[in-house]
Amino acid sequence: MFRRVLVVTLLLAALGVGVVGAQDGVTITWWTQSAAMPSNIQAVLVDAFNAAHPDITLEMTPQENLNETLRVAIQAGEAPDLLVTPGASFIAEFVDAGLVEPLDDAAAELGWADKILDWAYQSGQLGGVLYSIPLTYESLVLFYNKTVFEDNGWTPPTNIDEFNAIAAAAEDIGIFPLTYGNATWQPSNEHLMGMYLNAFAGRENVYKALVGEIPWTHESIAGATDLLRQHLVDDVWYSGGLENYFANGGDDIRVELATGDAAMMLSGTWNFRGIGQFFEEAGTEWDWVPIPPMSDMAGEYGYELATGTTVSVNAQSPNKDAAIKALDFLISDPALVLQLAADVGFGEWVVPVHFGVDDFPEGTDERVVRFFSDFAAVTGEGRIGYTTWTFWPNDPNVHLWEAVENVWWGDISVEEYLEEHERLWQIERDSGNLLPVPAPAMGGM
Amino acid sequence: MAATQGTIQPGAVSLGGGSRRRELGRWLFILPVVLLNLVVIVGPAFFGVYIAFTDWSGVGSMNFVGLENFGRLLQDQVFWKALRNNLVWTAIFLVVPIVLGLLGAYMLTGIRRGQMFMRVAFFVPYVLPSVVTTHIWRYLMHPRVGLGQWLSDNFGIDFLDKAWLGSRDTALYGIAFMDNWHFWGFPLVLLLAAMSAVDVELYEVARLDGASRFQQFRHVTLPSIRPTLVFLLLMIAIWSALVFDYIFLTTGGGPANASEVMGTHLYTTAFERFQTGYAATIGLVMVLWVALVVGGFVYLRKRGWEI
Repeated sequence: MFRRVLVVTLLLAALGVGVVGAQDGVTITWWTQSAAMPSNIQAVLVDAFNAAHPDITLEMTPQENLNETLRVAIQAGEAPDLLVTPGASFIAEFVDAGLVEPLDDAAAELGWADKILDWAYQSGQLGGVLYSIPLTYESLVLFYNKTVFEDNGWTPPTNIDEFNAIAAAAEDIGIFPLTYGNATWQPSNEHLMGMYLNAFAGRENVYKALVGEIPWTHESIAGATDLLRQHLVDDVWYSGGLENYFANGGDDIRVELATGDAAMMLSGTWNFRGIGQFFEEAGTEWDWVPIPPMSDMAGEYGYELATGTTVSVNAQSPNKDAAIKALDFLISDPALVLQLAADVGFGEWVVPVHFGVDDFPEGTDERVVRFFSDFAAVTGEGRIGYTTWTFWPNDPNVHLWEAVENVWWGDISVEEYLEEHERLWQIERDSGNLLPVPAPAMGGM
Repeated sequence: MAATQGTIQPGAVSLGGGSRRRELGRWLFILPVVLLNLVVIVGPAFFGVYIAFTDWSGVGSMNFVGLENFGRLLQDQVFWKALRNNLVWTAIFLVVPIVLGLLGAYMLTGIRRGQMFMRVAFFVPYVLPSVVTTHIWRYLMHPRVGLGQWLSDNFGIDFLDKAWLGSRDTALYGIAFMDNWHFWGFPLVLLLAAMSAVDVELYEVARLDGASRFQQFRHVTLPSIRPTLVFLLLMIAIWSALVFDYIFLTTGGGPANASEVMGTHLYTTAFERFQTGYAATIGLVMVLWVALVVGGFVYLRKRGWEI
């Protein structure tokens, strides 16, 4: 008798939990990389979304090592409702495995094409189907020590001749023309490779190589690769030589720039986050300009397009509609996006939506606002470039930053390096693994 | 000696009902551990062997590709460079920390006051997280702000003023140096414990026979601590195949693969190139290395070596 009562009680209790659960609505989970998570995300995004959607509870969970954790969770069927990946090339792999929900219907219904920057929207498409939204975007620029420039009467370079002249002048006063290094992040090589490809070979040639109209062994690509080798190895412009480059970590290069040991640094806009601290401690000033075109092929300056992390909806999620609502909530409010981005120094969470100057929180650094305003205007004209981590498939991408070290050390020639690069690209082309590439403004370069 | 009547030889007689129940009971107690082992060790291990024969990317479907990954391995120059570096690493670690540990431990056995303090002092680097150790040493070895430049600027000592981690010639040895700095306290403490257990009468007899301090070490200490020493050599040979964190955190395997080891090559292949099937093939080579080392020691034990 007691046993029967117990069973009935437990069944009723379970039923009760189910009913209460249904009344509470759904909970959607979103994992994010802890190091990149804004400290105000709970108040600005999570609480605001939950208040606006009483039937949905959004839970944001930071993960120390999101990429590896997510891959394991997917295998175990325990992935969150919203999938965050480090970039577009990563999401392609998940799409192949049928793990990502197509978002075209939701995008059409909610007008996402009008809310997201056009190139960013395209970068989330594979085979014409929208699978992801970039969670942040960035580009590459020329940072310089403004104090050093002013003290020496230099003006920031706008072309290769001015760039060379400043490099020579910097050497004359005993400082490094440029600083960089890869000790704490070996793929940093690809920042330089990407910049030289776009600034020397030009956006049109890089685009043609990306879509297979010219091979990667093309003379423009070879010229860009060799120019970087020359600056790094022959001219020892970067931190005094190759060995110093390999010994320099992320903090070392910022210190070299801030203390005036180096005049310039070609790097990403993720440096907006934290670079000021180094200059404050050194008592100097920093500023940035677009990367100067390094050949006639490059035409007028442009900005390389780079999406950082992406966010998608888990195809196995039972709460897809709620997850889509969370995405729509984020991209529908430019001011909300900029509050999040400002909290992490505009180094992360710069969701590529249409924001104007007035959307920036009060007190935002003028240099940051200037970048985003100019970026929108210039890329809107089609003066775009291509970052390797956004537009290269995984295998050629790793080859690009790993094997280029063999070129720098003289193990292989530029031609041998590019022949292997072309071979790997051909494999990806044959396999249909290419990523979407927005076309630049053609002609007049 | 023949077994005397009434003596029970293990396995020589069939188990009675009580013994069988006791045996079953023991198995029931150990069952959770066996099941756990099957789930988290044996199962994934067999799965790893299987995916070495596939083109799996890490998610989604996998296609059987036969021996294709093994053929690629034979032609993979980075892999062979990594394997060679693993061998160099093993040679360094079988010698340097063992010699330092032996010397340190032997000298410490002569110290009574402060021995515990010295043990702790030598052991502390071993418990430091690798991310902390590498961070500190990366700065100490930096060509512009490191110890080498400081010595050069202040004392005119130039030979240390190099980009230890930035040069292809020194990167692997630079990392091995910092890992040795962290590791050598471990063999020291183990060997010191083994030396402390040696019967002091053996030393007294040796002294009476006129043995020098070195002869005492050679003929008394070393034979007495041989099991500990061999255990250390075995573990070092295994750990050297699996080395990853110190290299990953300092050079990532560069410059130009100069410090590449199988672990970093496997990581790049699996988590940068997303070629998990091929990465599993590299993993199999690491397993084979460990199996050869363990097999060698088992063979020597069967040959009667006291190890």
